[in-house]
Amino acid sequence: MMDALHRISRDPLGLLGLILVVLIIASALLAGLIAPYDPIKLNIIDRLQGPSVDHLLGTDQLGRDLFSRVLYGGQVALKVAFISIAAALGIGVFLGMLAGFGPKWLDNIIMLFFDTIRSFPTVMFALATVALVGPSLGTVIAVIIVTSIPTYGRVVRTQTLTIKSNEFVMAERAMGVSTTRILRVHILPNVIGPLIILASMDIPTVIALEAGLSFLGMGVKPPTPSWGSILNDGYTLIRNTPWPIIAGSIPLVLITLGFTFLGESLRDLIDPKLRKNV
Amino acid sequence: MGLYFLKRVALSILIVMLAVTLLFCMIHMVPGDPARILLGPRATPELIASLSAQMGLDQSLPIQIVKFFGNILRGDLGMDVITNRPVAATVFGQLPYTLWLIFTAIIFAMLIGIPLGCYSALHRNTLIDRITGVISVACITAPSFVVALYSLLIFAVTLHWFPAVGAGDKGDFWDQVSHLVLPAFAIGLSWVGYLSRLVRASMLEVMSENHIRTARAYGLSENTVVYRYALKLAVLPTVTVIGVGMGFLLSAALFTEIVFARPGIGKLIFDSITTRNYPVVMGSVLVSTILFVVSTTLSDLINAWLDPRIRASL
Amino acid sequence: MKVRPTVQTGVNQKRRQILKATGAIGVAATTGAFSEVIYAQGKKILKIRAYGDLRSLDPAFSQGVIDEEIQSCIYSKLIQYKPGREWGYDLDAAESIEQVDATHIKFKLKAGIMFTGGHGEMTAEDVKYSFERIINKDLESTNAPDWGTLREVIVDSKYEGTIVFDDAYPPAWNIAMPYIVGNIISKNAWQAAGGKVDTTTPSVSGPYTHKEWQPKQKTILARNPDWHGGDAPFDEIHIFPIDDENTAQIAFESGDIDCTRVSLGSVGNLKASPPENSTLEEYPSLFYVWVGMNVENEKMADINLRKAVQHCIDVPSIMQASYFGAASPSTGIIAPGLIGNRAKSNVPPEMNIAKAKEYLAAAGMSDGVSLTLDVLNKAANVTTAQVIQATCAEAGITLEVNLHESGAFWSLGDSSAGERYKDIQLILNRYSMAPDPSYATAWFVTSQKGIWNWERYSDPEFDRLEAAAKAETDNSKRDEMYQTMQSMMEDSGAYRFLTHEATPVIFRNTIKPAFRPDGLPLIRGFTSA
Repeated sequence: MMDALHRISRDPLGLLGLILVVLIIASALLAGLIAPYDPIKLNIIDRLQGPSVDHLLGTDQLGRDLFSRVLYGGQVALKVAFISIAAALGIGVFLGMLAGFGPKWLDNIIMLFFDTIRSFPTVMFALATVALVGPSLGTVIAVIIVTSIPTYGRVVRTQTLTIKSNEFVMAERAMGVSTTRILRVHILPNVIGPLIILASMDIPTVIALEAGLSFLGMGVKPPTPSWGSILNDGYTLIRNTPWPIIAGSIPLVLITLGFTFLGESLRDLIDPKLRKNV
Repeated sequence: MGLYFLKRVALSILIVMLAVTLLFCMIHMVPGDPARILLGPRATPELIASLSAQMGLDQSLPIQIVKFFGNILRGDLGMDVITNRPVAATVFGQLPYTLWLIFTAIIFAMLIGIPLGCYSALHRNTLIDRITGVISVACITAPSFVVALYSLLIFAVTLHWFPAVGAGDKGDFWDQVSHLVLPAFAIGLSWVGYLSRLVRASMLEVMSENHIRTARAYGLSENTVVYRYALKLAVLPTVTVIGVGMGFLLSAALFTEIVFARPGIGKLIFDSITTRNYPVVMGSVLVSTILFVVSTTLSDLINAWLDPRIRASL
Repeated sequence: MKVRPTVQTGVNQKRRQILKATGAIGVAATTGAFSEVIYAQGKKILKIRAYGDLRSLDPAFSQGVIDEEIQSCIYSKLIQYKPGREWGYDLDAAESIEQVDATHIKFKLKAGIMFTGGHGEMTAEDVKYSFERIINKDLESTNAPDWGTLREVIVDSKYEGTIVFDDAYPPAWNIAMPYIVGNIISKNAWQAAGGKVDTTTPSVSGPYTHKEWQPKQKTILARNPDWHGGDAPFDEIHIFPIDDENTAQIAFESGDIDCTRVSLGSVGNLKASPPENSTLEEYPSLFYVWVGMNVENEKMADINLRKAVQHCIDVPSIMQASYFGAASPSTGIIAPGLIGNRAKSNVPPEMNIAKAKEYLAAAGMSDGVSLTLDVLNKAANVTTAQVIQATCAEAGITLEVNLHESGAFWSLGDSSAGERYKDIQLILNRYSMAPDPSYATAWFVTSQKGIWNWERYSDPEFDRLEAAAKAETDNSKRDEMYQTMQSMMEDSGAYRFLTHEATPVIFRNTIKPAFRPDGLPLIRGFTSA
């Protein structure tokens, strides 16, 4: 671990990525301490102000401090990203190993399921789901989980298939070692590295999807601040002030840059063979 | 190869059918009565019942699905009961706009992204590589609707370089082209970044492979090695990614078509989902899913055909 | 079609082509782009925005304003809305028209009004056919209610006829004859087409003909050379469906359209720095926005809680935050300028937290209460909901805001679509209306419960007044009745009236537009300046 950190720190872009990620995670976690204002407190008299000493990023149409909203918005973004990616990883790993290790017919069914999910354009799937259950943070997370499972599942399946035919694993199976143990001891550790890298590079996509859904008015519930809903406000106010869009897009771009650089750097270090299009 | 081809096609058809059935079920669980929404506040209960019957909504879900697929086999996507036009006419009327948009965006992304990636790979870890790296990632990360909004404000409203909304006059080629520039830029920009990163990575990988090293060892010039051998292999993953990217591009097209008030299949899907115009939802989803599956399958096949490593394993 | 080639248009055309060409290769060329915007390809073209796409060219099946804006250009009516700031009408196909008694209207058509497509001259037979088919049950016209108590049209001579009602129906002058169901079509042509038409039309008689519909793109109308009113001012009219107002404004500023409604949020900026060579005008609007409370919901059944909510909502703050100060608080559901508009509401627009707390105490909820507020996911609504959420919190009412996309929202209160109507507590709603008070009150009677009356408000006295007011011919009595009805709605605690919004429109100075008093364009009245 320390070794990896040390090696990343010698790759300037990786280091930049790490710093950005740490910075944004810290600012989100510490939002309660850093934020100068309550992110949902209305102040209609001071609405639509530009940046000033009082309001670093200005205020929105309800006079809420955009800087505070951006900080708290980080919490939503991270929540969406981590919960959904963790869940998708978990389910993806399970299904992927099942497909790789289980009988052929099960493999076929699971792969068919993956391909079916992947054959929808994501936003269309999201639209139908949101129409079905109504917009909320939970809906966004659910949509992302369902649409991300196939990516991870396929990676795990491929890796499992490779390792399954490994002589060592074959020998263990012949000796009667249980499948669960083989999966746990030999396969899981081998797939987890590449998966984490993939996941870290997926975080930006996930956060952007949340922003996109909020842009269509199908994201988190008001008054919860999220970068997506700030952008949505900004879209409505685009003829009045550019600041909400700037405020909403800066952290979005920064965290994406951060995770992408970090992920690429990790990939170069750990597994140069891994490609995004698995 | 022939068997592989047949298997892929059969699988694709199965996937499209499954996907459409799934969506059919989902959409029908969605609250919201299309007849009510379509007819407006003054509709009487009798009118609503009559329209529901026209849409086939009074039948059970399995029957509706079977009928739907039955009609498709006869080339009939059903009737759009609001305008009384065949759904196929509506969908295929909108499809070309989206296809042109996606096509232009991809070409734009390839023309800029691939050379950028090659250049970066060949000058690995120089300052220029780092700068293009940062710019590429910044391009990837900018949400397409934000790019769309800003390009609209800057290039259409402030500078008046390009028109803002619509798709241009039918029959006026240059008018249509000028309407295409900004939307294509908006959805193509992230692909510029994406392709350049991808080409850079796969170029690096290819350059380190044995046969390239061998080629070098045989004393072929660096240029020949790069452009005759490496580039061809390095662009392969791009083909796959563009195939898979159809889905993303369809999604991005949806946002762009809304921002630029441009006709197209994305906007059609969005409008028909929010108005619960079921026949049009099903028709347009079917067509765009087919589009997506066909492009992924094609890219797989092309890849299999181009890449000796994959071809050998078939 | 008459094209007017002049030296000027030729030059303009060239210049536009050059602009386009330079634009395509990315060279900035910004000056002088708009002065000749109404000319393109040598034709005089009006480009205007509509907020939705064409659905039908048959008056029996048109969907509100969007279709009517197109239909009113191609069909004739006995009378047309008069452009300007006050409601009134001008004669169109009618040479004369009068209300002879409470249930009879006599009209005489102008001679020589021709239908296109060789369908001959307009006669009283055509009027009879046009009006009576709307109320014919077999046709299933969605617009039948607009004709109210219409019984029949009697043909008195070739050009003369009498419109007969079962009961007095004053709204005929406001929302029937000059609106959707007042369009007169050719009996001959319609019968040949099988009794109804879709998105094409066999015959028209207005200043323009329907040339082409490009779905999701535009509708093109062309000058009708045979129009009885002379020469229509434009060679073509292009109507662009653009639903978002920001996009529409951008389209205006970049020169793609010549006239559009803009969002209330832009009014301040447009006033401060108006785009070159254009005019901004503000009209009132007929929309009514309110917060409804479901009187049958378990929690909301307590009138004291409803009154507490009424006093928690600060309308002036909402006007600032959601409407950028460009709209004013409303007193009910009937807008100023119409019969039945109230001067004052019973609950003042400003919030009164102390009073709200008193009502909460009376309801036994001093410790606070959690409620839900259902909202359609449009920007202004979401902002309004958040203002309400914030002020309610001050009195101890916790609001959860539920956003819905349009499909889901418009079926929320529908009792035929499941049980969801029971869960509505607070709902932010906005209805459009036509310029007659009966159009507003019709949705809040007992029989509309579970259809459009989502508050499930019910009062026999209200129902009685609603029926009586519709048939009342004395305008001052009518006025009083509608005022009383709105008072009753407010006193029930089920309604907190917010605003009628406003209609700011912007247009290029190269055209002379014509608007209804509520700012909707009367496209047939547009001319070039």
